[in-house]
Amino acid sequence: MSLYFLPLAPALGVLINGLAGKHFSRQMIAIVAVTAVGVPLLIAGWLCYQMILAPATTKAMTATLYQWISTTAVSINIGLLLDPLSMVMVLVVLFIGFFIHIYSVVYMKEDPGFRRFFVYMNLFIFFMIILVMADNLALMFVGWEGVGLCSYLLIGFRHEKKSAADAGRKAFVVNRIGDFGFILGILLVIVTFHTVQFSELSKILASHHGISNLTLTIAALLLFTGAMGKSAQFPLHVWLPDAMEGPTPVSALIHAATMVNAGVYFMCRMAPLLQQAPYVLTFIAVIGLITAVYAALSALGQDDIKKVLAYSTISQIGFMFIAVGSGIFTAGMFHLVTHGIFKGLLFLGAGAVMHALHGELNIYNMGDLSGHLKIVAATFFIGLLALAGIFPLSGFFSKDAILWGAFEQYGSWYWLLAVVGALITALYCGKLFGVAFLGKQNFSGTIHKPDAVITMPLAVLAFCAVGTGVFGLPMFTPNTLFSRIMGSSFAPTEAGHAVAVAAGSHTLEIVLTVAVSIIVITVFIIALRIFSIHRDKAALFSASYRKTGEFLHAGFGMDGLYDLLWVRPYEWIAQICHTVIDRIIIDGTVNGTGKMANATGGLFSALHSGQLRYYAVSILAGVFTFVSVTYFLIP
Amino acid sequence: MGIYHFFAIGIILFSIGLIGFILRNNVIIILMSVELMLNAVNLLFVAFSRYLYANPDGQIYVFIIMTVAAAEVAVGLAIIVALYRRFATLDVSKINQLKG
Repeated sequence: MSLYFLPLAPALGVLINGLAGKHFSRQMIAIVAVTAVGVPLLIAGWLCYQMILAPATTKAMTATLYQWISTTAVSINIGLLLDPLSMVMVLVVLFIGFFIHIYSVVYMKEDPGFRRFFVYMNLFIFFMIILVMADNLALMFVGWEGVGLCSYLLIGFRHEKKSAADAGRKAFVVNRIGDFGFILGILLVIVTFHTVQFSELSKILASHHGISNLTLTIAALLLFTGAMGKSAQFPLHVWLPDAMEGPTPVSALIHAATMVNAGVYFMCRMAPLLQQAPYVLTFIAVIGLITAVYAALSALGQDDIKKVLAYSTISQIGFMFIAVGSGIFTAGMFHLVTHGIFKGLLFLGAGAVMHALHGELNIYNMGDLSGHLKIVAATFFIGLLALAGIFPLSGFFSKDAILWGAFEQYGSWYWLLAVVGALITALYCGKLFGVAFLGKQNFSGTIHKPDAVITMPLAVLAFCAVGTGVFGLPMFTPNTLFSRIMGSSFAPTEAGHAVAVAAGSHTLEIVLTVAVSIIVITVFIIALRIFSIHRDKAALFSASYRKTGEFLHAGFGMDGLYDLLWVRPYEWIAQICHTVIDRIIIDGTVNGTGKMANATGGLFSALHSGQLRYYAVSILAGVFTFVSVTYFLIP
Repeated sequence: MGIYHFFAIGIILFSIGLIGFILRNNVIIILMSVELMLNAVNLLFVAFSRYLYANPDGQIYVFIIMTVAAAEVAVGLAIIVALYRRFATLDVSKINQLKG
């Protein structure tokens, strides 16, 4: 029963604040909104405790509300499923969501759209819970579209600003392209398997089903297209940097910690299908690698603190897809959790910085913030260490597991490129901290000190960014604490994987890990020093490579390319539709009908003289004609 | 005196009314012409009921028609008054607002 309460509480929050909130004070709205996330968080914690105690065979809890669609081809239930995989997601969403709600109460307190903001946020939590707890593809798609809607609404939250409204639309359109693949995938699954229920699907896939490899590959590929759109993978990533137009808590919650990771969760959910479509796994791995390296390079060229974090998010999700593509779903999920925490932390820290500097976003106009904002700087530093993957923070454990899995699956060259991505990550992390928080002060004016409600979530998340690394222990074994929590979610592949690892030696893995770790730390420290102390030399260097810098800043000119390939031709077609089809054909038909009626009327109106005797004679003539015809012509 | 005399008088009366209706300009005269045509028909009603059918129904109809005609004249005169107020003339050739 308590399963229902998880989506119900945020839905109630939406209804109460949405319908009656007009009469509430801001305090009351905030209490309702935070409670609507806090109470399910407690329940989820209790359910998690129960799940850990439960024996391995009964870990999954299900609840079916009612039958939604029933046809001869397929029957779809509104059903919830809470197994270790969705449990982890629910905890991430509610935990980070709870602290971001608290943070937003202060962050948004001056905003005229206070109530609207919290209604959207609660609505987002509701749809996200539906997405992760759905026990079938169709209901998951409902949640999927719902979070897309909330993302659109919250990116365009300040809709009176044209750039924000445009960014919201862009996110919506690009996501639709991915969702097109998703829905085609669902239809193909329905046609092939006659069910959309995850448990049924894995049962069929585990049996000798006799479904052709091609069908499975196409289905997996289509579903992955959906994940690419939502999780901002190359080349459907263009909406995420623009999505930073939304308020910062939104960027933290939706565009870093939860929604954009839904694609990874979705792929993990479809693991039984992906395992039988090896080409798609390779494709996912390639896309993930391209995205990870590309976005890390782009992050290097950004000067807007939120854009750095946005590209970094794209890059880190790329790493998660490397894990998925390498078949190590547990590592992907683990990175999702750690990334959700430290990226949420970084965005909240960026929000605190913006708050303190009255909306300043450009990192070159900051400098020496660590002297003024001690707690923010300390927590931000912890977040960056975790992002760079430096021992012993959580990011180190999750990223290391991914790199090793990639090495095993795709060999040393692939691994090397992934490591390059990790190094660039360390580089931009060092640059970000060096430029914004260390070195010379580059701003004037007062600093708005953050209060306790802002710093408390930062402290909690920073603690977790350090602490969640525990779940990656013991290292170099497939039997980490996290994979024990996940239990048998991905049993078929990873069991074989574990045997292979146990048989081999750990020496190579340990050597590579230590080597990469040392290089990453070195790169991080060098970047930190260059951009704090030797900033003049760095400026000189970037001035001599100005073209490259601009190229990176524009994200390799992807926006320009899209503009050329899609936006302009589309506008051209729209222009033709406007001038030819609408103006000439449709307007011509409508106006032509009117003109024809007018002309006919003009013809007949000549018969009307307005003279009374004329009408009298007409009547007379009519009567004569009538009488003559009836009497003389008709016998 | 047979039915043909009545018939002839009826036709003559009707024709006078019709011609007056078509040719005269004054609305009041036109109204009178209409009454003339009506009475020509009434006359024929009475004559037919007496000579042709030997049945009083036609004569009863005449009373009904006269009643209706009285009401009609009341409405007609009211319209004429309204017309005069609107156009300050009773010449129908000048009242041609319906010209298309």
